[in-house]
Amino acid sequence: MSKKLTVIPEQCSDCRICELVCAIKHFGVNNPKKAAIRVINTYPHPVMRMPVVCSQCRIPACAQVCPTDSLRWVDGIVQLDKGSCISCFKCVEACPFGAIYAHEDCEFPIKCDMCGGDPECVKACPLGALRLIPEHALGETKRISNVLSYTQMREIEFYEKGEKKTIRYAEIGKEEL
Amino acid sequence: MSIKSGYFKKHLSIDLTRGTAEYLDLPDAFLEKYIGGRGFGAKLVWDNLKKHNFKIDPLGGENLITIAPGPLTGVYLPSSGKNSFIGISPATGLYGDSSIGGGFGVELRQSGIDVLSITGKAPELSVLFIDNHDTQIIPMPELKGKTSLEAEGIIREKLDVQLAHIATIGPAGENLVKFACVNTDWGRNAGRTGFGAIMGAKNLKAIIVRGHEDLPVYDIDGLMEESRKAYSYLREHKYFKMWQQEGLMNVIEYANDKGILPTYNFKDSVFARHDQINGATMLESYKIGDSACFSCSMSCSNICLVKNGKYAGTVVEGPEYESCAMLGSNVGIDDFAAILSANRLCDELGLDTISAGNLVGAIIEGYEKGIISLSDLDGAEITWGDDDAILNLIRKIANREGIGDIIADGPRCIIQKWPEMDRLILEVKGLEQSAYDSRGGSSMALAYATSDIGAHHTRAWTIAREIEEGQSWSDEERVKTVIYHQTLRPLFDMLGVCRLPWIELGLNERHYENFYKYVTGHELTLEQLLALSNDIYDLTRLINVKLGVSRKDDSLPYKVYASPALTGPNAGKAVDKDAFQELLSLYYKERGWDDNGMPPEGTEKKFDD
Repeated sequence: MSKKLTVIPEQCSDCRICELVCAIKHFGVNNPKKAAIRVINTYPHPVMRMPVVCSQCRIPACAQVCPTDSLRWVDGIVQLDKGSCISCFKCVEACPFGAIYAHEDCEFPIKCDMCGGDPECVKACPLGALRLIPEHALGETKRISNVLSYTQMREIEFYEKGEKKTIRYAEIGKEEL
Repeated sequence: MSIKSGYFKKHLSIDLTRGTAEYLDLPDAFLEKYIGGRGFGAKLVWDNLKKHNFKIDPLGGENLITIAPGPLTGVYLPSSGKNSFIGISPATGLYGDSSIGGGFGVELRQSGIDVLSITGKAPELSVLFIDNHDTQIIPMPELKGKTSLEAEGIIREKLDVQLAHIATIGPAGENLVKFACVNTDWGRNAGRTGFGAIMGAKNLKAIIVRGHEDLPVYDIDGLMEESRKAYSYLREHKYFKMWQQEGLMNVIEYANDKGILPTYNFKDSVFARHDQINGATMLESYKIGDSACFSCSMSCSNICLVKNGKYAGTVVEGPEYESCAMLGSNVGIDDFAAILSANRLCDELGLDTISAGNLVGAIIEGYEKGIISLSDLDGAEITWGDDDAILNLIRKIANREGIGDIIADGPRCIIQKWPEMDRLILEVKGLEQSAYDSRGGSSMALAYATSDIGAHHTRAWTIAREIEEGQSWSDEERVKTVIYHQTLRPLFDMLGVCRLPWIELGLNERHYENFYKYVTGHELTLEQLLALSNDIYDLTRLINVKLGVSRKDDSLPYKVYASPALTGPNAGKAVDKDAFQELLSLYYKERGWDDNGMPPEGTEKKFDD
């Protein structure tokens, strides 16, 4: 089963622990500038904290520009063959998300390899902003939140065993058509 | 044992007058003795004072400020995003520092330095751009009068530094308001003791940093293991989620409940409409995102948006407890949207929210009591909770308009103009008191009185212990607790980490000796690290003593001993003046200072290196 590393930017706090654990895992150094995931922070309009990491595209734009065919999608991961990579960094510029990185100490482009299927960043994220989700379940969160925000929904509060809860329901037949 | 890693061993020294940037070597002995952060800053400030024969105008070119992360800043361990600004404060004329979170200090370290010092004055309004090892001073007169956030936006665009970390000052800094702050990362401030004014006096509008060096760590595997333990301890703590959700805003409810919430300029210590300005209100209607300092899993900061009403569209990083209390209950504002707006305004203008809220509260009370007249207020009446008038007064302070020009010079100048205001303003050494009422606990009053920067809770925060213990603990224990806080909390500022995992979630402070060991390769016990921190407390005391401080300055604000809170659990309580003097003597004795608060002879020699 192919899993995707997905990002829920609304949950991100910009703590950048993901960057640290990524760099330590892959390079053995404490340097967030060597991470294959980076949090981009915009403020105040709009307020956005977005971890940017490789989407492991099936038709990777990075691979399309690679002159030596060193990037290939294999089993859900776009893998970089360091044996044939010539470090031209065309892939860094070509990625539509800017999700491949470069650092002057590093010979090759810095790209997410999913830690072989068990990403450190997902394990370390304190807010659940990074998740590993089976491909068939992608979009589920958005789907549900969209359904829940359906405009005709009403909400009531009630108490169950002393605990305040809310329930949402649709007032069928009472919509203003 | 000695230092094996953890430092670049570099001090970047900037002289704005000469327009020079020099990389100086830091010897191992210096690193071992002063650790980093406030330790480095205090030593560099001390050396500079000696060079100028202890005559320094805080707003003169000769005032050297240091911006100092610590050896743990930016390292993989809980909440390592801190660094300190250190210099002679224009607010107090004494030693001043302010610690700041976010990512600025991490980026500064990643440019390959351990400490940045700035002296002199640029010929015109300029910015300092540290781009890894390449440092430039760039004149940008077009930034004149721009707010902190506007300036940050313009700099990002003009210098094409979209992802750099930037510290800016606003109009308050340019206008030398004595409690002007330095703003970084769009809303994190080095708030206290007036570093915005120092930068303004130096014609330095901003510092831009971009760095990409590895942060040196001696034993990365050891560090990983230790950090994982610390992170999982925090993650499993029963209040961890609450910190992520409410962050410091949870303190409003606690402070009100315990009767320590500044209300109507400390006339009271409970606020009837506390539930309109508390964490729950924020969560229900205003919070749109979490915000954390570098490597912090607690994410105690919040991002709030006002969605409707006259402040609709206001976005602010915050508020945290201090800003919310000082710009809320302390000035009688019960509209959370108005507090957010005041907080944002202070960020834009570059004003410390604590000082601003404290002084605005005092002015309102002064007007209420007839000490300040309507004409003194330039004809603009101001009353409790009148948000329009309060925001307007804040603007006048930053722009030094009318009465704002007097307030901008701080509490001592207000008192000079209206001597009776002495009874209304809570300040120590010229620094306005922060948002924990001390009348219910004499150790908190002692903490404010003996803090090296003035009445701020950063050095010691013993009010929670006071509340727990009530009358059951002895003065000896009070003194010991204050001193322990004044030693451990500054140690965090030396290491470059946040104290919240320890003070709020009880992370064992022993972790820090291990963090220090794994990062530097230098094995010191916590006790040895604390001894080094204690030396720095002696050093900052020495600085203050040389600048004229003695026992008389370790004082209580009038209200703390003479004007108890009206209602709530601490109603009627005040700190007994004579008992406090005994407590102070006990404190000096415990510290090894004489009864006039002077460190022993020979202290000075310790810092001659």
